[in-house]
Amino acid sequence: MMTTNMNTYNPVELMVVLLSREVRDNEISACGALSHIPAAGMLLAKELHARNAELIILNSIFNPFKTSRQFHYLAQRGELGLFFVSGVQIDQYANYNLHQLGPDHAQPDVRFPGGYGGGLIYYAARRSVAFRTEHTKRSFVENVDYISAAGSSPEDTLRLGGPSKVITPKVTFMFNRKTNRLELESIHAGFTLEEIVNNTGFAVSNEHAIQTAEPSELELYTLRNIVRQRMINTNTYAKWAENSLN
Amino acid sequence: MGVPYVPIIGLIGTDILKRRLDMKIVENPFNPDVKTVVAQSLRPDIAIFHAQSADKLGNISCGYDAEVVMLAEGAKHVIVTVESVVDKITEKDSVGTYIPSILVNSIVHAPYGAHPSGCAGLYDPDKVHMQAYVKASQSEETFQEYLKKYVHGISSHEEYIDMAIPDHIKKTIK
Repeated sequence: MMTTNMNTYNPVELMVVLLSREVRDNEISACGALSHIPAAGMLLAKELHARNAELIILNSIFNPFKTSRQFHYLAQRGELGLFFVSGVQIDQYANYNLHQLGPDHAQPDVRFPGGYGGGLIYYAARRSVAFRTEHTKRSFVENVDYISAAGSSPEDTLRLGGPSKVITPKVTFMFNRKTNRLELESIHAGFTLEEIVNNTGFAVSNEHAIQTAEPSELELYTLRNIVRQRMINTNTYAKWAENSLN
Repeated sequence: MGVPYVPIIGLIGTDILKRRLDMKIVENPFNPDVKTVVAQSLRPDIAIFHAQSADKLGNISCGYDAEVVMLAEGAKHVIVTVESVVDKITEKDSVGTYIPSILVNSIVHAPYGAHPSGCAGLYDPDKVHMQAYVKASQSEETFQEYLKKYVHGISSHEEYIDMAIPDHIKKTIK
């Protein structure tokens, strides 16, 4: 639990609020399977600053499509404004890894289910926000063991968008499109730069880092009451919402 | 689907693309300054999948909103196993995805044919059997035993139904 002079909130609630702020009104935002935190974040944004946003939460009632083909071509047409994605490893170039660990690609130490469409949507959505609930040296690495999706690609290849931010329980990184690297944007309340440096596997540049704006009373109230109940009523990660958002 | 290839925005710079010999980075023929990935189509010889019902012409009502229509379009020979065979199915009668008979070559009447998986709207996955399957799959020896019991050691679909379908699933279909 984080306690500040105004509010108390847990790290999950903090991440939900930070993700919700990335959702823009009148835009289409989406997240994939097993995406509890972005799902809550999108629903929170819709209650607050993005009332006309369209949301796609796969495997829930918040999905206008019957088949994944329709979602695929929506993204390929460039109509998806924002996509939320996660990775087991994320590196300084905003490459992420959802496939396997270990130096030898043919003989991985650990194999994960992989990502269904992330390797396409990361290039097609106008902005992608990556999130990771564990901020340690094993999750934030210099170079991912396996590139499931690349943060940047050569100028002469067709790409409609890319990563904009990476959000963790400790910080927000911003993706610098000129250097194609992640830079520290802001540090969440309760953490020091030293802790961030010690828990990040790549060199953290901090020239412009500020303190993250904390969840407001309105954001927390809306999340814990309206969004939580909505997730329970619509069976959208209902058990998770019941246990995590309070 | 089943067209020669499709352009894709994505995958450039990934380790996935390195292993996919069926995907290449090519110049856009309409704008050679820009490159894009193209994926060769998958064109299976045979596709086989389960659906809720078929009519005698091979029109299919999947019973659920299914991606399998892409399989039916992409494969050269399409076999659909179904819970029931009825006189006539039109797009209007169809529940969920409708697949017209022009895409279908063979139908097989196979009640409970999705088992141990489920058939949407009719019966749920058989979780007990699924757990046994997962356990059996953990070694070559136990998996061979599983295959012997449920696949190779069985002489007919009726025998499989008698032996493997639990009563609570049988009760869900008349």
